[in-house]
Amino acid sequence: MRKNKIYFIYIIPALVFIIVFVYVPIVQNFYFSMFKMNSYTDEWTFVGLNHYLNIVKDPIFYTALKNNTLYAVFSIIFQVGFGLFLAILIDSKFVGKRLKVVFRNIYFLPSLISITAVALMFYFIYNPNIGMLNGFLDLLGLSEWKTAWLANPNTAIYSVIAMSQWQYTGYIMVLLLVAIQKIPRDLYEAAEIDGATEFQKAFYITIPGIKGMLVATSIITVIGSFKLFTEIYVTTGGGPYNTTQVLGTYMYRSAFLFDEMGYGSAVAVIIFIITFVTSLIQIKLSKKRNKG
Amino acid sequence: MTKRLLVLLVLCLVAVSFVYAADEKVEIKFLHRWTQYMDYFEEVVKEFEEANPNIDVQMQAISNDPFKEKIKIVLGTDEAPDVFFTWPGEFTNRFIRAGKVLDITPYLEEDGWLETYIPSQIEPFIYEGAYYGAPFRLDGKAFYYNKVLFEEAGIEKAPETFDEFIEACQKLEAIGVTPIAFGNIRPWAVSHFIGTLNQKMVTDETRFTDLDPAKGTWTDPGYVTALEKYVEMIPYFNDFSNALSHDEARATFFNGDAAMMYLEIVETPDLEEFASDEVKENWGAFVFPAIPEGKGDQDYLTGYPEGFVVSGTTNHPEEAVEFLKFLTGKEAGKLEVNMLGWINGIKNVVGPEDNVSQGVLDTVALVLNAEEMVNWLDSSLHAKVWDAYSTQLQMLTDGFTTPEKVMEAVRKAADEVRKEFE
Amino acid sequence: MQKKSMKFYINKTWINVLLWILVAIVIYPLFWIFINSLKTNTDLFVNTFNIPTDPLFSNYVDAWNMGLSGYFLNSIIVGVISILATITIGAFCAYGLSRLQSKWKMMIYYLIIGGLLLSPQSALISLYRILESLNIYNTYLAMILPYIAFRLPFAIFLMHTYFMDFPKELEDSALIDGCNTFTTFTKIVLPISKPILSAISIMTAIFVWNEFLFAMVFLEDSGLYTIPIGLYNFKDALATNWTALLAGIIIATIPIIVLFLFMSKSFIRGLTEGSVKG
Repeated sequence: MRKNKIYFIYIIPALVFIIVFVYVPIVQNFYFSMFKMNSYTDEWTFVGLNHYLNIVKDPIFYTALKNNTLYAVFSIIFQVGFGLFLAILIDSKFVGKRLKVVFRNIYFLPSLISITAVALMFYFIYNPNIGMLNGFLDLLGLSEWKTAWLANPNTAIYSVIAMSQWQYTGYIMVLLLVAIQKIPRDLYEAAEIDGATEFQKAFYITIPGIKGMLVATSIITVIGSFKLFTEIYVTTGGGPYNTTQVLGTYMYRSAFLFDEMGYGSAVAVIIFIITFVTSLIQIKLSKKRNKG
Repeated sequence: MTKRLLVLLVLCLVAVSFVYAADEKVEIKFLHRWTQYMDYFEEVVKEFEEANPNIDVQMQAISNDPFKEKIKIVLGTDEAPDVFFTWPGEFTNRFIRAGKVLDITPYLEEDGWLETYIPSQIEPFIYEGAYYGAPFRLDGKAFYYNKVLFEEAGIEKAPETFDEFIEACQKLEAIGVTPIAFGNIRPWAVSHFIGTLNQKMVTDETRFTDLDPAKGTWTDPGYVTALEKYVEMIPYFNDFSNALSHDEARATFFNGDAAMMYLEIVETPDLEEFASDEVKENWGAFVFPAIPEGKGDQDYLTGYPEGFVVSGTTNHPEEAVEFLKFLTGKEAGKLEVNMLGWINGIKNVVGPEDNVSQGVLDTVALVLNAEEMVNWLDSSLHAKVWDAYSTQLQMLTDGFTTPEKVMEAVRKAADEVRKEFE
Repeated sequence: MQKKSMKFYINKTWINVLLWILVAIVIYPLFWIFINSLKTNTDLFVNTFNIPTDPLFSNYVDAWNMGLSGYFLNSIIVGVISILATITIGAFCAYGLSRLQSKWKMMIYYLIIGGLLLSPQSALISLYRILESLNIYNTYLAMILPYIAFRLPFAIFLMHTYFMDFPKELEDSALIDGCNTFTTFTKIVLPISKPILSAISIMTAIFVWNEFLFAMVFLEDSGLYTIPIGLYNFKDALATNWTALLAGIIIATIPIIVLFLFMSKSFIRGLTEGSVKG
């Protein structure tokens, strides 16, 4: 029991860090969200829940919400869905042992590149005059499809979403691949003896066998979709005309571009609530899985 | 092992804090926005420190677009720079109202400092009767054009009225040349057009009232006409103007692929450095053409000096003002002309011994001889009004809205802003 | 048997073709950026698909000298300190927590793990004010301290689980021999925890390598910029020199790719250990 004192001492530094730099700011945020304030004056006016009412009336808020959701949906379809498909292919007997490692490593590469670097890369790739994409379209004789991918309100958000799929599908695929490789091989052998096709093996053995990882990767992508900032900020800045705003850039814009830190704090509270709830769901789901 | 790690960690933290140890000299923090021209500013700082050995200048640069956001954050901290860059107009005024800019009128009135400046260049820094800053670089906007392409298109002389201008654009298009290079991914570019058009269409009185965030209503139909004129120009821009940066579009003008571009006169040195030989030898400049039916004075020139101010919360006002004086003074001005090709706000700063091109002198003359200068629209507006205006203008450029709807959005934003001042 | 073989080869073909096409989709953009980073700016406008005949390696020198070297250094400094601090503080806390016998134990545990649920973005505005009042705004600490704070919950969560599973007999024998908790922890438990420590190091490194928002808001001095914000700043500083900017992108990308290719096994192990738990 005396040891407890020492253990408490070991625990305190971490607690202090987390309380001061994580909890206090989040609580303060709730407080700030009820004032009108900006970064360079000391005058604060209490406005109660006014900011929240204005957020709900703001069409840009809904655009942001829609974009985050679009992002989440596409990410699940691509990163998890297509990633799963690729993982199954690579794990299958159709790919040689050494090739498995080669493919795995190559697909994984983009996720290691700094987000800003990827964003700048795609900024060039999507450039209407000298970009790679429009250049390809010319070569393929599809010139009428050329457009300013990041400046065209119809294509902008999808262009950024595509960029993220390029970057992260491999990462999710590797996670799924590792999980697949943990499935005992005799399950597959038994199925083969029973005459199962590849498709049946995948559907009845592989997918259920990695259910935990499937859930985990889905939640990672969903939570990641609501935490977006850098990808949008560096490529489009939220444009063209606010069509690619997401909650993170919307918050930043209110707080630092419009000098409305109170309003920005209110948006931050909403981001907090959304990510909090989804994280909570993840923990509940992974607990359930561990028990069962 | 962990003990050593801990020691290393502590040492690191200590080392880091040593970097910020206090100094005995007076330290002035200086912030500007020219990350591309550090050599010039380093030279200025060096010369100032040599002349003032008790002052140590810590210089920082943040590039143009991040600067507009960061300056607000930075001014809210205790680390606010003592001397910092600004655009006169509402951009600075909101900081003045918050007490973040020093009133330097008493300093200017001493020893004739005020008289060293060209009146039209120091006056923009007046707010409610007091002087708050000093000019660093005079500037104005004009249409630079490619004489060779004009000749090929059969345009005899630079257009003087708006109708002549559109005619010229049509002739250029007829021979397959892009008439106007325009890169508006950052909408300050379109603000230069609209600022000019607005000034030409409405009276000064209306314009000044509307620019005041406490009073602006933006109801004059002249603003809608101004946008209609802009809409007439749009077909003659290059493709994807909202997707290109100003620099990207400018490259096509410098290469001779576009016939005209609305440029700042401070870009003349860039032309002389980067343009193709044909463009270098065959360029000219004309002021934005007149619109006879407009109510504004057609002889005004769009453009305003950029300058520096002293922080209202500085701990070393005397030293900061000394640096401001030097930075915007004759010595630094001579350096500026020779190294960068820019003219500052000092009277007669250019002499026969200075290495400055005729091109620079000619375009600067446009500013010095202008009847009056008109501030850039984006730095004149309250942030919310400019946001509404700029978003709508980009939509207008792509054909997604109408002049009427643009002004509706601007009016709505202006109404909200007025409420804040009641 | 014959039929099976045929089907096998058909499948093998299209699958491998597809996989190699995807390889091209992954690699080609990087290659495209690379070949264009060796061109002059005028050549860039002519044709972006041809390989330059006269590679302009000076673009790389320019990019390095114009600030990239500083950005790398800063990312390394911030990264190393953050990793060391997170591991140290986190390991002690996780160990203490796992061996603690008190009614407070669960509450503290949930308090710490609760940090996992809180997104850094939501804390941005308040953190900015806190850092400012602590007078560390615009310093290395402005990044390091929040980074540590936001990585600790995850690190502690992983290590706590690990320590809980740790066989107590080894510890007990050490304690009987007269070691105090400190020595037991450092000399016995930690060395065996290397896999989990390396996993946490890698995840923290990747976090620092990518963190943009805090770096952008909490730093003013470009001399302190880490790679994410530095590259973004580069975009403006090199507004007219695109090929140098492209060179900068490649420089920022290459080291970690090379590192990965040498250590791919550990990377992947580290990431999967980490991500399974969240």
